[in-house]
Amino acid sequence: MGAAPVIAPERISEPSEVDKRDRPWSVIVWNDPVTLMSYVVFVLRKLFNHDEATATKLMLQVHNEGRAVVASGPREKSEADVARLHAHGLQATLSQD
Amino acid sequence: MLTHGVRRLPDGGFRVRLATRERELLRSLPAQLRPVLSGEQQVGDSGQRLFPAAYDDLADEMEYRELVGDSLTQERLAALDRLSRSVAAGSTRRLLWTVDLDADSAAAWLSTVNDARLILGCTLGITQESAWESGPDPDNPTSVVIFWLGWLQEELVAALMGTLPDR
Repeated sequence: MGAAPVIAPERISEPSEVDKRDRPWSVIVWNDPVTLMSYVVFVLRKLFNHDEATATKLMLQVHNEGRAVVASGPREKSEADVARLHAHGLQATLSQD
Repeated sequence: MLTHGVRRLPDGGFRVRLATRERELLRSLPAQLRPVLSGEQQVGDSGQRLFPAAYDDLADEMEYRELVGDSLTQERLAALDRLSRSVAAGSTRRLLWTVDLDADSAAAWLSTVNDARLILGCTLGITQESAWESGPDPDNPTSVVIFWLGWLQEELVAALMGTLPDR
């Protein structure tokens, strides 16, 4: 073998690690069999200022598909959103796309 | 003329009118809910329902728990105390009890009624939406109460929805 490559594979992967930190976090609301649909719409409108049509659409997505992304953004903000959803009794998590 | 239920008043407050036996039911809630909300007592998977995980990752989750601390518990207990105070107030006439709530108290009622339904849902072991299809079981008081609280919560949501900006 001749000279070692200038850029090792490990180094090539570095920029994507930086990108990963910058990628937005998603706030996910999960379906549960007890919470009222109208209450989910109310909380989504109250916390995220969604209009009624948007909040209803998201609620139906939670209901029919089991989950919906209701907001996304920097980690700190998404974590605060999840904490407020938890304070309102909804099942919510955050994860990075 | 105010009918049975929750109405928004022109001054920004809310009027609740319930049968006296419904009021008695609300009066009995705090003693049942307080130990569960404070985490002293678990009913089924109530711990997980009231305080769900924010992260799959254990280290992230521990950090989140540290960040929120006991604020979720304190907020819930404060809402319960507020409901408790308003249930002790109001006036009764011909088996109908009426109480006026300010916006903060109405929000506290909504929060506590939701918590109560989550806890009773754990007591009943409700894991499927089909559990609602057959209606309340007249032989099971918990089942009757969770259905009634569902009605009360719909009333509160409808009244409070009108306070949100229309955009």
